[in-house]
Amino acid sequence: MSKSATVTYANKAQVRRNTLIGWSFLLPNFIGFALLTLVPVAATFFIAFTDWDSYSTPELVGLDNFQRLLTDKNFHVALFNTAYYAIGHIPLTLVVSLLLALALNRKMRGVNFFRTAAFFPYITSIVAVAVVWNMLLNPTQGPVNQFLMTLGMDNPPGWTSSPQWAMPAVIITSVWRDMGYYMILFLAGLQTIPPELYEAAKMDGASAWQRFRNVTIPSLRPTTFFVLMMLTIGSFKIFDLVVVMTDGGPGRSTLVLSQLIYREGITNGRFGYSSALSLVLFVIVLSITVLQYRRNQKMEA
Amino acid sequence: MTTELAAARDTVPAPLDPPTKSAARPVHGLAKVGGYIVLVGIALLVMVPFFWMISSSLKNNNQVFTVPTQWIPTEFRFSNYADIWTRIPLAKYLGNSLFLAVTITFLQVFTGSFAAYGFSKVRFPGRDGLFIAYIATIAVPWQAYMIPQYIMMQKAGLTNTHLSLILLQAFGAFGVFLMRQYYQSIPDEIVEAARIDGLSEWAIYRRIMLPLSVPAIASLSLLTFVATWNDYMGPFIYLTDNDLWTIQLGLRSFIGQYDAEYAMIMTGSVLSVLPILVIFLFGQRYFIQGIATSGLKG
Amino acid sequence: MKRIVTKGQAMRGVGVSLAAALLLTGCGGESESRADGKTELTISVWNLEGTPEFNALFDAYEAANPDIDIKPVDILADDYAEKVTAMLAGGDTTDVLTMKNVTDYSRYATRGQLADITDLAEATDQEALAGLESFDQDGTYFALPYRQDFWALYYNKTVFDELGLEYPADLTWDEYVDLAEKITTDAAAAGLTPSTGPTVYGTYHHVWRSVVQAISAAQTGDDLVGGEYEFFEPYYERALGLQDAGATLDFSSAKSQQVTYQTMFSTGQAAMLPMGSWYISSLLASAAKGETTFEWGIAQMPQEDGADSVTTFGSPTAFAVNAKAKNTDAAKDFVAWAAGPEGAKAAASIGTVPALQSDEITTAYFALEGMPQDDLSKAAFEPDEIVLEMPVSEVTSDVDQVLMEQHDLIMTGSVSLEDGIAEMGERVRNEALQN
Repeated sequence: MSKSATVTYANKAQVRRNTLIGWSFLLPNFIGFALLTLVPVAATFFIAFTDWDSYSTPELVGLDNFQRLLTDKNFHVALFNTAYYAIGHIPLTLVVSLLLALALNRKMRGVNFFRTAAFFPYITSIVAVAVVWNMLLNPTQGPVNQFLMTLGMDNPPGWTSSPQWAMPAVIITSVWRDMGYYMILFLAGLQTIPPELYEAAKMDGASAWQRFRNVTIPSLRPTTFFVLMMLTIGSFKIFDLVVVMTDGGPGRSTLVLSQLIYREGITNGRFGYSSALSLVLFVIVLSITVLQYRRNQKMEA
Repeated sequence: MTTELAAARDTVPAPLDPPTKSAARPVHGLAKVGGYIVLVGIALLVMVPFFWMISSSLKNNNQVFTVPTQWIPTEFRFSNYADIWTRIPLAKYLGNSLFLAVTITFLQVFTGSFAAYGFSKVRFPGRDGLFIAYIATIAVPWQAYMIPQYIMMQKAGLTNTHLSLILLQAFGAFGVFLMRQYYQSIPDEIVEAARIDGLSEWAIYRRIMLPLSVPAIASLSLLTFVATWNDYMGPFIYLTDNDLWTIQLGLRSFIGQYDAEYAMIMTGSVLSVLPILVIFLFGQRYFIQGIATSGLKG
Repeated sequence: MKRIVTKGQAMRGVGVSLAAALLLTGCGGESESRADGKTELTISVWNLEGTPEFNALFDAYEAANPDIDIKPVDILADDYAEKVTAMLAGGDTTDVLTMKNVTDYSRYATRGQLADITDLAEATDQEALAGLESFDQDGTYFALPYRQDFWALYYNKTVFDELGLEYPADLTWDEYVDLAEKITTDAAAAGLTPSTGPTVYGTYHHVWRSVVQAISAAQTGDDLVGGEYEFFEPYYERALGLQDAGATLDFSSAKSQQVTYQTMFSTGQAAMLPMGSWYISSLLASAAKGETTFEWGIAQMPQEDGADSVTTFGSPTAFAVNAKAKNTDAAKDFVAWAAGPEGAKAAASIGTVPALQSDEITTAYFALEGMPQDDLSKAAFEPDEIVLEMPVSEVTSDVDQVLMEQHDLIMTGSVSLEDGIAEMGERVRNEALQN
C-alpha cells in the first residue's frame, strides 16, 4: 500500500463516504459469495461440532470430533503428506512458472507455439497425465529410470510403486501440470512493468541480473503474492491428481487431506468429522495467509 | 518503490517497441538455430501426454491401456471421431458447456474486477479483514461444504438447473483476488490524479482501471473458462437431466460399473480441448509485453 | 422437464436457508398422477446406456403395467453413491433407488432414508432369491436383490486348444498356479503372441484386493473384518509367486498403467482370468459385434485342497424404495416384481445373472446367443456357495480401506508378506475397529 495515498481516515464523513463507495463495488460479488459460499462454509464449521450423517438432525458433540483428530493415524499421515507435497510443489512451481513467463514474455519467432506447449499440460486429460507419467516413471522399463541407470545409478527410485518415492513422483507431475497455469498469471503481471524502468536501469549500467533483481522482482510483487497464495491454497487442497495418479497409495504414502475429507464425509457419511478436518485445514491455510499478507504489506509499504 | 515506479513512468516516454526483446541482441545464427531446436524438443516432450490422448483416441478400446505403451495404433480408427457424435449427444453437451463457461466467465470477470477495485483503491474500515476472509474461504475444499450447499440449493428449488451452477461459480473469490493483486501494481497516483480531475469512482474504474487491466482480464477469463469447462464434480452433483449435461459429464458416461470405453473418452477429450485452444490462441495477443503500458499512455 | 425459477424466488429461497435451518429435514412428496392417467415412476440408475439390464427391466415392467411410465434418473456410474447421498440429503423424492453395493445400502438404511419393505421380502421365495440375507438389517429389509454376481474362472479356449491343454476343470489352487506357469512357458516356446502386447500370460490377476482377499475369506470361512489375517497368507504366496514367475502381469504395472482386465483377456494376453459374472454380458455383447476372435468358457474358481464343495464369493445388486418416494405403492410393486420371476427373466435376457435362481432361468440364460455350451461352463454357473464379498457392519468401509492399502503394499513388494499381513491386522484393530 503506497503511503502517498491521500485517502486517510481524516474525518468521519470521508470514512462514511468511502465505506459506501467501497461496499458498492464489493456488493455484486459479495452477495453471491456470502450466500453461496460463506453460509455453507459457516454451516460446515458448525457441523464440525456435531455428529451428522447428512440426513438426520445434527447432534452437538462439543469437541469430540477434534479429539478424534488427535488419535486418528490417517489424519496424521494425511497432514504430513499434504505438508510434504506443499513444500515440494510450491517453490518448484513458483520458480519454473516464473522462468517460463520470463522466457516467453518477448517477441520472438514461435512464442505462441511455446506458450501453448507450456499450457498444454494443464488442459490435457488428467487420466492421460497419470498414465503417461506413470509410464515414464515405470521402475524398470520407464525412460526416466533407464536414463538414471545409464548415468550409473544402480538402484533408481521405484516412483509410484514405492511408498518412499510416490510423493516425489506426484510432485514432479504436478509441477509439470501447473507450470503453464501460473505462467499465465505471471505473464499478466509482467505486462504491468513499464519498459521505461528497464531502459532507465540499462542506462545506469545495470546488468541483466541486476535488472531482474531490482526491476522485475519488486514490480512483480503483487503477482508473486497472488501466485504464492494460490499455490499454497492449491497445494493444501490437492485432490484430483493424487486420486488419479496413485489414489493415495501405495499404502497411504500419498494420502492427502482433501482425500480424507472426501472419504470421511461424502463416502462414509461422517460429516461431523470431515467438517472438523476441513476446519483444521482452513485454520492452517488461514494462518499462512495472514502471515503472508502481513509480510507482503510490510514489503509493499 | 511504487513512487519511484510511477515517477519513472511519468518521465520516460513509452517506446514503440518493447526494449527487452531478444532479437535486439546480436545472437550468433547457428547458436540461435540450435537454441530453437532444443526449445522445440522440450516443447514436444512437454506435450507427450497429449500425444498419448490422440493416439488412444484412434484405437480400439482394448488397446488403450497396455503394457508396454503402444504409441502408434496397430489400426487407426478414425471412425471414433464420427461415432462419438451419435453415441452421446455431444453437440448438446458442448453447447451446454459453452453456455455455462461463457456466462460464468463473464460474471466472474465483471463482479471480480468490480470488487477488486473496492479492495484495492478505496480505503474503508474492515476492508483488509474482509479480504483475508475471501482468500481464506478459497482454502476450504468444496468437498467439505458441498452437502450444506446442495441442501440450500435444493430448498431454493435450484438443483437441476444451469442457474445453480452459474450462481455457484460466478461469485468466486479467485477473480476478486487476481484482479485486486493486479490493481495493486497500478500506482495509486493515477487514481488520485483522476479523483482530483473530478472523476467519480465508477468512472475511474471504467475509464482507467478496466483498460489498464486487459492482460489480467485476459488471464482471468482464460483460467475461469478452463476451470468451468473442465469442471466435473459441480455439474455432476447439480445437474440430473441429461438435457442439461456438460461435456465432462458426457465423457464420463462412457465409464460403466465394471468397464470403461477409454478410446471414446480420449476421443471426446481431444475434441473438448479444441475450444480451449482457440480461446488460448486468441488471448495470446494480450500477453505481449508493452500492451498494458501503452494503454496507460493512451 | 425443467423447473423454471425466477430470480426473486431464488433469492427468497436462498435467503431463508440459514445454517441451522438448512440442516433440518424437508418433507416428503405427494403422489402425482399425470394428465394421461399414467403414474410416473422415477428410478435412479447408473450409466443407463452402458447398462442394458436397466432398460430390459423397465421395458418389461412397463409392458406388464401399462399404467406406469418409468422415468430413469441417469447418474454416472463412477460416483453414483456420492450423488445419491447428496440427493437424499436434499430431500429428493425419486421413487426407487438402485443399490450398487451392500455397503452403501447399509448406510442409507441406517440413516432412515429407505422405506421398510420387510413384507415384500417375506413374500418372496427366500430360498431361491440369492443374496437376500445381505439386506437383512436386524430382521428388517429395505431392499430386494434383482441381480447376484459371483466369481468364476474365465479361460481362453483358443489358447488352450493351440497349446493342446485340457480346460481348467475342478482346479485346486496349486494346480491353477502350475497351469498358469505352464501356459506362460508353453506359449512362449510355441511363439504364440496375442493381438496386442508382447506375451501370453498364463493368467491375469486384476489389482482389486478381492482377487486375493475375498476368495480366501470365502474358502477358509474366516472373517474379513475380524482383525486377524493370517489366513490370507497362502493366497498371497500364490499370487506373488505367479507374479515372480512372470505368469501374470505384475501388479505395479497393472496398477500404474490402469490396465483393464478386459484388455488382458479379450486381446489374448491372459489365458485365464478370475473375474465376476458381470463380465459374461460384455463378452456376449462384443462377440455379437464381431469384435471377439476367440472362443471362451467359464470354470469354477480354483478351490482349497480337498474341498468337497465349490465356494466362491460375490455380491448382489438391489432396488430399494426411497423413504420420501412420491409413489410408494408403485415403487414397492416394481421392487417386488424385479426380484421375482418376471424380473429375473428380463435380466437374464441380456446376460445379467439374476438373483432369483431356478432351472428355467438358467436354461434361458444358456440359450443366449454366444454363450458357451459345454458342461464345464454350466457347472461353473452353479457354485455350491456364494459368500458375500465384504460383510456389512459399521466398520466395513474403514476396514476396506486398510485392507486395500495393505494389499497394494504387499503386491508392489513394498513390504514383506509377513510384515504386510501383521500390519494389516494391527491397523484394522487399532484404527478401524475402534471407530
